Amino acid sequence: MIDRSEASAALADIDDMVRRVRQSRIYDLASQMMVMWGALVFVGYLVTYLVPRHATIGWVAVYAIGIAGWAWLSIANRPRSGVRTFDLKIFLAFAMFLAFGIFCCWLGHFGPRQISAFWPIYFMTVYAIAGLWLGYAFVAIGLVVIALTLAGFLWLGSAFDLWMAFVNGGGLVLGGLWMRRS
Amino acid sequence: MAEIDDIIHQPLRLRIMAALNALPVSAGLEFARLKKLTGATDGNLGAHIETLARAGYVSVEKAFVGKKPQTTVTATAAGRSAFARHVATLQQIIATSGSDK
Repeated sequence: MIDRSEASAALADIDDMVRRVRQSRIYDLASQMMVMWGALVFVGYLVTYLVPRHATIGWVAVYAIGIAGWAWLSIANRPRSGVRTFDLKIFLAFAMFLAFGIFCCWLGHFGPRQISAFWPIYFMTVYAIAGLWLGYAFVAIGLVVIALTLAGFLWLGSAFDLWMAFVNGGGLVLGGLWMRRS
Repeated sequence: MAEIDDIIHQPLRLRIMAALNALPVSAGLEFARLKKLTGATDGNLGAHIETLARAGYVSVEKAFVGKKPQTTVTATAAGRSAFARHVATLQQIIATSGSDK
Protein backbone atom coordinates (compact mmCIF):
# COMPACT_ATOMS: atom_id res chain seq x y z
CA MET A 1 0.00 0.00 0.00
CA ILE A 2 1.26 3.49 -0.72
CA ASP A 3 1.06 6.49 1.58
CA ARG A 4 -0.43 9.95 1.13
CA SER A 5 2.75 11.62 -0.14
CA GLU A 6 3.31 8.92 -2.79
CA ALA A 7 -0.30 9.25 -3.92
CA SER A 8 0.05 13.04 -4.13
CA ALA A 9 3.27 12.70 -6.13
CA ALA A 10 1.57 10.27 -8.55
CA LEU A 11 -1.38 12.63 -9.06
CA ALA A 12 1.00 15.56 -9.62
CA ASP A 13 2.83 13.45 -12.21
CA ILE A 14 -0.47 12.73 -13.97
CA ASP A 15 -1.38 16.46 -13.99
CA ASP A 16 2.03 17.28 -15.44
CA MET A 17 1.57 14.74 -18.26
CA VAL A 18 -1.92 16.02 -19.06
CA ARG A 19 -0.52 19.56 -19.29
CA ARG A 20 2.33 18.39 -21.56
CA VAL A 21 0.00 16.47 -23.86
CA ARG A 22 -2.35 19.45 -24.10
CA GLN A 23 0.53 21.74 -25.01
CA SER A 24 1.90 19.22 -27.49
CA ARG A 25 -1.50 19.01 -29.25
CA ILE A 26 -1.79 22.80 -29.38
CA TYR A 27 1.75 23.13 -30.77
CA ASP A 28 1.12 20.39 -33.33
CA LEU A 29 -1.99 22.05 -34.71
CA ALA A 30 -0.56 25.57 -34.42
CA SER A 31 2.55 24.53 -36.35
CA GLN A 32 0.42 23.41 -39.31
CA MET A 33 -1.53 26.68 -39.19
CA MET A 34 1.66 28.72 -39.00
CA VAL A 35 3.27 26.98 -41.97
CA MET A 36 0.10 27.52 -44.02
CA TRP A 37 -0.31 31.20 -43.02
CA GLY A 38 3.42 31.78 -43.45
CA ALA A 39 3.34 30.52 -47.04
CA LEU A 40 0.25 32.64 -47.81
CA VAL A 41 1.67 35.78 -46.18
CA PHE A 42 4.93 35.27 -48.09
CA VAL A 43 2.97 35.27 -51.37
CA GLY A 44 0.90 38.29 -50.23
CA TYR A 45 3.97 40.44 -49.52
CA LEU A 46 5.69 39.26 -52.67
CA VAL A 47 2.66 40.37 -54.73
CA THR A 48 2.65 43.70 -52.83
CA TYR A 49 6.34 44.20 -53.63
CA LEU A 50 6.30 43.06 -57.26
CA VAL A 51 2.85 44.29 -58.43
CA PRO A 52 1.68 46.87 -55.86
CA ARG A 53 -1.44 47.75 -57.87
CA HIS A 54 -2.75 44.21 -57.28
CA ALA A 55 -1.88 44.23 -53.55
CA THR A 56 -5.47 44.62 -52.31
CA ILE A 57 -6.87 41.74 -54.34
CA GLY A 58 -3.80 39.71 -53.41
CA TRP A 59 -4.43 40.18 -49.68
CA VAL A 60 -8.16 39.46 -50.03
CA ALA A 61 -7.18 36.17 -51.69
CA VAL A 62 -4.63 35.45 -48.94
CA TYR A 63 -7.26 35.89 -46.22
CA ALA A 64 -9.95 33.94 -48.09
CA ILE A 65 -7.63 30.98 -48.73
CA GLY A 66 -6.22 31.26 -45.21
CA ILE A 67 -9.63 31.13 -43.52
CA ALA A 68 -10.71 28.18 -45.70
CA GLY A 69 -7.44 26.38 -44.93
CA TRP A 70 -7.80 27.14 -41.22
CA ALA A 71 -11.30 25.60 -41.20
CA TRP A 72 -10.07 22.56 -43.13
CA LEU A 73 -7.06 21.95 -40.84
CA SER A 74 -9.25 22.31 -37.77
CA ILE A 75 -11.83 19.82 -39.04
CA ALA A 76 -9.21 17.37 -40.33
CA ASN A 77 -7.29 17.39 -37.02
CA ARG A 78 -10.25 17.34 -34.66
CA PRO A 79 -10.64 13.55 -34.24
CA ARG A 80 -6.92 13.13 -33.53
CA SER A 81 -6.24 16.23 -31.46
CA GLY A 82 -9.59 16.85 -29.80
CA VAL A 83 -8.76 20.56 -30.06
CA ARG A 84 -11.44 22.82 -31.52
CA THR A 85 -9.88 25.81 -33.26
CA PHE A 86 -12.59 26.84 -35.69
CA ASP A 87 -16.29 27.38 -35.18
CA LEU A 88 -18.76 30.22 -35.69
CA LYS A 89 -17.71 32.09 -32.55
CA ILE A 90 -14.02 31.87 -33.42
CA PHE A 91 -14.78 32.96 -36.97
CA LEU A 92 -16.78 35.96 -35.68
CA ALA A 93 -14.00 36.86 -33.25
CA PHE A 94 -11.53 36.77 -36.16
CA ALA A 95 -13.88 38.89 -38.31
CA MET A 96 -14.17 41.50 -35.51
CA PHE A 97 -10.41 41.44 -35.07
CA LEU A 98 -9.97 42.11 -38.82
CA ALA A 99 -12.66 44.80 -38.77
CA PHE A 100 -10.93 46.61 -35.91
CA GLY A 101 -7.63 46.45 -37.79
CA ILE A 102 -9.27 47.94 -40.90
CA PHE A 103 -10.84 50.65 -38.70
CA CYS A 104 -7.41 51.51 -37.24
CA CYS A 105 -5.91 51.79 -40.75
CA TRP A 106 -8.77 54.06 -41.81
CA LEU A 107 -8.69 56.19 -38.65
CA GLY A 108 -4.92 56.60 -38.80
CA HIS A 109 -4.90 57.36 -42.57
CA PHE A 110 -2.19 54.70 -42.96
CA GLY A 111 -0.27 54.62 -46.22
CA PRO A 112 0.81 51.33 -47.88
CA ARG A 113 4.05 51.17 -45.88
CA GLN A 114 2.30 51.73 -42.56
CA ILE A 115 -0.32 49.11 -43.49
CA SER A 116 2.43 46.60 -44.30
CA ALA A 117 3.94 47.18 -40.86
CA PHE A 118 0.67 47.47 -38.93
CA TRP A 119 -0.92 44.09 -39.75
CA PRO A 120 1.96 41.82 -38.70
CA ILE A 121 2.49 43.86 -35.51
CA TYR A 122 -1.26 43.72 -34.77
CA PHE A 123 -1.46 39.97 -35.41
CA MET A 124 1.74 39.15 -33.56
CA THR A 125 0.75 41.20 -30.50
CA VAL A 126 -2.40 39.10 -30.07
CA TYR A 127 -0.36 35.99 -30.87
CA ALA A 128 2.20 36.84 -28.16
CA ILE A 129 -0.55 37.62 -25.62
CA ALA A 130 -2.25 34.27 -26.38
CA GLY A 131 1.14 32.65 -25.83
CA LEU A 132 0.99 33.56 -22.14
CA TRP A 133 -1.70 30.85 -21.86
CA LEU A 134 -0.91 28.56 -24.81
CA GLY A 135 2.88 28.27 -24.53
CA TYR A 136 5.90 30.56 -24.46
CA ALA A 137 6.97 29.58 -27.99
CA PHE A 138 4.11 31.78 -29.25
CA VAL A 139 5.41 34.73 -27.20
CA ALA A 140 8.95 34.31 -28.52
CA ILE A 141 7.89 34.00 -32.18
CA GLY A 142 5.49 36.95 -31.86
CA LEU A 143 8.05 39.28 -30.29
CA VAL A 144 10.79 38.37 -32.78
CA VAL A 145 8.51 39.04 -35.77
CA ILE A 146 7.39 42.38 -34.23
CA ALA A 147 11.00 43.45 -33.63
CA LEU A 148 12.08 42.53 -37.18
CA THR A 149 9.01 44.27 -38.65
CA LEU A 150 9.85 47.49 -36.79
CA ALA A 151 13.50 47.24 -37.83
CA GLY A 152 12.48 46.93 -41.48
CA PHE A 153 9.93 49.72 -41.19
CA LEU A 154 12.45 52.13 -39.69
CA TRP A 155 15.58 51.30 -41.60
CA LEU A 156 14.67 49.64 -44.90
CA GLY A 157 13.64 51.64 -47.92
CA SER A 158 11.70 50.37 -50.89
CA ALA A 159 12.57 46.74 -50.12
CA PHE A 160 10.37 46.76 -47.00
CA ASP A 161 7.63 44.54 -48.49
CA LEU A 162 10.25 42.07 -49.72
CA TRP A 163 11.77 42.11 -46.21
CA MET A 164 8.31 41.44 -44.76
CA ALA A 165 7.79 38.47 -47.12
CA PHE A 166 10.80 36.80 -45.51
CA VAL A 167 10.38 38.12 -41.96
CA ASN A 168 6.64 37.57 -41.57
CA GLY A 169 6.05 34.77 -44.08
CA GLY A 170 9.37 33.04 -43.55
CA GLY A 171 9.24 33.68 -39.81
CA LEU A 172 5.88 31.95 -39.52
CA VAL A 173 7.01 28.97 -41.60
CA LEU A 174 10.24 28.56 -39.61
CA GLY A 175 8.40 29.14 -36.34
CA GLY A 176 5.85 26.48 -37.30
CA LEU A 177 8.54 23.96 -38.21
CA TRP A 178 10.40 24.69 -34.98
CA MET A 179 7.19 24.30 -33.00
CA ARG A 180 6.57 20.90 -34.60
CA ARG A 181 9.93 19.69 -33.31
CA SER A 182 9.45 21.03 -29.78
CA MET B 1 -10.36 0.55 -0.07
CA ALA B 2 -9.56 -0.31 -3.71
CA GLU B 3 -6.13 -1.73 -4.43
CA ILE B 4 -3.43 0.12 -6.29
CA ASP B 5 -2.95 -1.18 -9.85
CA ASP B 6 0.68 -2.27 -9.83
CA ILE B 7 0.88 -2.34 -13.62
CA ILE B 8 -0.11 1.31 -13.90
CA HIS B 9 1.54 2.57 -10.73
CA GLN B 10 5.14 2.14 -11.99
CA PRO B 11 6.26 5.78 -12.63
CA LEU B 12 6.95 5.53 -16.37
CA ARG B 13 3.85 3.43 -17.06
CA LEU B 14 1.80 5.94 -15.06
CA ARG B 15 3.13 8.73 -17.30
CA ILE B 16 2.39 6.71 -20.45
CA MET B 17 -1.18 6.00 -19.33
CA ALA B 18 -1.69 9.62 -18.23
CA ALA B 19 -0.53 10.86 -21.64
CA LEU B 20 -2.74 8.43 -23.58
CA ASN B 21 -5.76 9.15 -21.39
CA ALA B 22 -5.42 12.87 -22.07
CA LEU B 23 -6.24 12.17 -25.75
CA PRO B 24 -9.69 11.73 -27.27
CA VAL B 25 -10.94 8.12 -27.25
CA SER B 26 -9.30 6.05 -30.03
CA ALA B 27 -6.62 8.69 -30.65
CA GLY B 28 -3.06 7.50 -30.09
CA LEU B 29 0.45 8.86 -29.77
CA GLU B 30 3.40 8.04 -31.97
CA PHE B 31 6.31 6.36 -30.22
CA ALA B 32 8.65 9.30 -30.84
CA ARG B 33 6.13 11.79 -29.43
CA LEU B 34 5.50 9.58 -26.40
CA LYS B 35 9.24 9.31 -25.86
CA LYS B 36 9.59 13.09 -25.89
CA LEU B 37 6.61 13.61 -23.57
CA THR B 38 7.69 11.04 -20.99
CA GLY B 39 11.44 11.69 -21.23
CA ALA B 40 12.11 7.93 -21.48
CA THR B 41 14.75 6.13 -23.52
CA ASP B 42 13.78 3.96 -26.52
CA GLY B 43 14.44 0.65 -24.75
CA ASN B 44 12.80 1.62 -21.49
CA LEU B 45 9.70 2.99 -23.20
CA GLY B 46 9.40 -0.06 -25.47
CA ALA B 47 9.60 -2.44 -22.51
CA HIS B 48 6.95 -0.61 -20.51
CA ILE B 49 4.62 -0.30 -23.49
CA GLU B 50 4.94 -4.05 -23.93
CA THR B 51 3.95 -4.59 -20.27
CA LEU B 52 0.90 -2.36 -20.71
CA ALA B 53 -0.01 -4.12 -23.98
CA ARG B 54 0.22 -7.56 -22.30
CA ALA B 55 -2.18 -6.31 -19.63
CA GLY B 56 -4.56 -5.18 -22.38
CA TYR B 57 -4.25 -1.52 -21.34
CA VAL B 58 -2.82 -0.25 -24.63
CA SER B 59 -2.86 -1.34 -28.25
CA VAL B 60 0.20 -0.96 -30.44
CA GLU B 61 -0.11 -0.37 -34.16
CA LYS B 62 2.86 -0.47 -36.50
CA ALA B 63 2.64 1.05 -39.96
CA PHE B 64 4.83 2.60 -42.61
CA VAL B 65 4.52 6.30 -43.33
CA GLY B 66 6.33 6.60 -46.63
CA LYS B 67 9.43 4.48 -46.01
CA LYS B 68 9.61 5.21 -42.29
CA PRO B 69 8.15 2.75 -39.77
CA GLN B 70 5.77 4.39 -37.31
CA THR B 71 4.50 2.89 -34.07
CA THR B 72 1.32 4.32 -32.57
CA VAL B 73 0.21 3.52 -29.03
CA THR B 74 -3.44 3.91 -28.01
CA ALA B 75 -5.16 3.38 -24.67
CA THR B 76 -7.80 0.63 -24.87
CA ALA B 77 -11.19 0.86 -23.17
CA ALA B 78 -9.88 -1.50 -20.48
CA GLY B 79 -6.82 0.71 -20.06
CA ARG B 80 -8.92 3.85 -19.68
CA SER B 81 -11.14 2.17 -17.06
CA ALA B 82 -8.11 0.84 -15.15
CA PHE B 83 -6.50 4.28 -15.23
CA ALA B 84 -9.69 5.97 -13.98
CA ARG B 85 -9.90 3.42 -11.14
CA HIS B 86 -6.24 3.99 -10.30
CA VAL B 87 -6.69 7.76 -10.14
CA ALA B 88 -9.79 7.30 -7.95
CA THR B 89 -7.77 5.06 -5.62
CA LEU B 90 -5.00 7.66 -5.35
CA GLN B 91 -7.55 10.35 -4.55
CA GLN B 92 -9.15 8.06 -1.98
CA ILE B 93 -5.78 7.47 -0.27
CA ILE B 94 -5.24 11.21 0.02
CA ALA B 95 -8.77 11.84 1.29
CA THR B 96 -8.64 8.98 3.81
CA SER B 97 -5.20 9.83 5.21
CA GLY B 98 -6.25 13.49 5.39
CA SER B 99 -9.31 12.64 7.49
CA ASP B 100 -7.23 10.36 9.79
CA LYS B 101 -5.18 13.32 11.03
